[in-house]
Amino acid sequence: MNIFTLALRNVYRNRHRSLVTTLAMAFACTMMIVFAALMDGFAIGSERNVVSMNTGDIQIHLPGYRDDPDIYSLIDNADKLVAQFRADAFYATERLFAFGLMASDQSSSGVQLRGVDLDYEPTVTDIDQHIMTGEWLSADDQQGVVIGKKLSKLLDVGLGDELVFVGQTADGYMANDSFQIKGILKSVSATIDNAGVFMSNAMLRELITLPEGAHELVLMRTDRTGDLSLMTEQLKTSLGEDLEVMNWQQLMPIINRFLETAHIQTLIMMIFTYIAVASVVLNAMLMSVFERIHEFGIMKAIGVKPKQLVVLIYAEMLIQTFLAVLIALLAGSALSWYLQEHGLDMSSLADEISFAGIAFDPIWHAELTANAVLMPTLFLFVIAGIAVIYPAIKVAVIQPVDAIHHQ
Amino acid sequence: MFKLLPYYFSLFFLLPGLFPVHAETAQGADRVKALLNEVDDLWRGQSSYAVTTMHVKTDHYERTMKMEGWSKGKEKTLFRIMQPLREKGTSTLKSDNHIYTYLPKTDRTIKLTSGMMMGSWMGSHLTNDDLVKEARLEEDYTAEISFEGVRDGQKIIEFTLIPKLDAAVVWGKLALTILADSHIPVVEYYYDEDMVLARTIRFSDIQLLGGRERPAVLTVVPADKPEEYTRFVYETLSLNVELKDSLFSLSSLKKR
Repeated sequence: MNIFTLALRNVYRNRHRSLVTTLAMAFACTMMIVFAALMDGFAIGSERNVVSMNTGDIQIHLPGYRDDPDIYSLIDNADKLVAQFRADAFYATERLFAFGLMASDQSSSGVQLRGVDLDYEPTVTDIDQHIMTGEWLSADDQQGVVIGKKLSKLLDVGLGDELVFVGQTADGYMANDSFQIKGILKSVSATIDNAGVFMSNAMLRELITLPEGAHELVLMRTDRTGDLSLMTEQLKTSLGEDLEVMNWQQLMPIINRFLETAHIQTLIMMIFTYIAVASVVLNAMLMSVFERIHEFGIMKAIGVKPKQLVVLIYAEMLIQTFLAVLIALLAGSALSWYLQEHGLDMSSLADEISFAGIAFDPIWHAELTANAVLMPTLFLFVIAGIAVIYPAIKVAVIQPVDAIHHQ
Repeated sequence: MFKLLPYYFSLFFLLPGLFPVHAETAQGADRVKALLNEVDDLWRGQSSYAVTTMHVKTDHYERTMKMEGWSKGKEKTLFRIMQPLREKGTSTLKSDNHIYTYLPKTDRTIKLTSGMMMGSWMGSHLTNDDLVKEARLEEDYTAEISFEGVRDGQKIIEFTLIPKLDAAVVWGKLALTILADSHIPVVEYYYDEDMVLARTIRFSDIQLLGGRERPAVLTVVPADKPEEYTRFVYETLSLNVELKDSLFSLSSLKKR
């Protein structure tokens, strides 16, 4: 007896029921693929935002600097260290920070001056490409600064406007100079948006009289597939206790946690959706089994083993599930791919979304990862398999004589 | 009450103490009132002009500035830096609770925002807030005599001042010591809201200034870094000088 042919015939016998069941499973699976792709897209997008826009893979500071950013907390020999890192599987750059007051014609606001190395910062982060209006800094412009999006609104300024900085130099004098707005950034993080003023390291050094040293060293692995935690530990050991070494997961634990739980969120969503699907499958299979009790009775009477009947039920289920998965793969992938390229426009909900200090692009892009496709499809098989346990058992325990009389 | 510009700093430190409040008995209260009024009288004047030198020493730098200052009433104050050359012409104007700073290098006048109030004034151990607040402190404290007698070989009277409940004051407590005979201030301790000492101001070098005996030197020492200090030395002081209101305007800030 060919179970497969038999199963095929049984499925076809009640086409409408089979189709409805198949489509229900296909629909649920498609939705889950799209959902998983969106979640993965969010996770990957966030990591990209955090890491490649600002934080980098690893950051080095003097211990205590992050809690109390004192301009005197400088890393000695920063230039030598950075050169060493570059020779050794990293892109690296130096940064300097200072705080003070920036005044425009209309108003003034507290700002964080962010000195960047014009040559090396673009190798580590993509901030130079994150300009909303205007241009990024250039070495031949000693007056140009790039400011955060919200800061430009706070100060009521635009491209080309003049800003005057007031602060204190390292040797106690008044730091005071005027600058011109060369560019305005898109959203990056709360601090940068509200108070960030980017200038070259050279300009900042002159403004606050800090000829040597750096406050922050930022590293990006040249090969990003390696184990970040391991590399962080290795670096920590080689640099010793005088410097604090942290990777982005340690620096932004909330985002890291969020990304870790993104998978769990998809899983939970899937469980709920598939429970609904399972009830559809169970219902269909149960009905189909009850209709055929007489037939099963006869089959058992002529020598078909219970095990074979169970396999038959499963085969019927598998045929439908396979079909459903085929449809879901096509539809789900297509939709996810579309959302990957074009994204879901959330800007009607919020102009920019900020979470745990990170700014998110209001256009939500999916990412069609292997995980997004495999997890829902494999899970569908599992759920369907569990759903038909009851009907299959029912079939297995049929007593031939009772079954033949059943009607 | 009228205050004098150079004693501006002392004033807003002292004034909290200089106003009468209760003591245990009616007689005690009257005496406190009288004493504080007397101290206050030391600073009384409708207007003033002074030249001071400020010396700041911190862990990272040491510098000296010379400046001239004018005051009229308690609402208007103007400082202008004379030395060093690098900062000559930088001025700070206080007018009706707003502070403006003129910076000759960029030829800009900046109005200080509330966010900058706790920032240090000109790199010293005083804050911008110290400059603004002085006018209101007089109404904001309750005072009583906490010690009277001999300490360190001097006959002194010590007052303890507690801010009133509704006062917008950053300190938790002040302790002011004056000489028993001349009622000239000797030292003032500032405690934060947790009653931890935050800073100390010492008055020394009593000299004839502006026609009266006053301390010519004020030294501010932060409690958390006792090796650091800011010292003001009054070189000249004239009281009740003729000063036009227009001196305390934004346009006059720019004159070098």
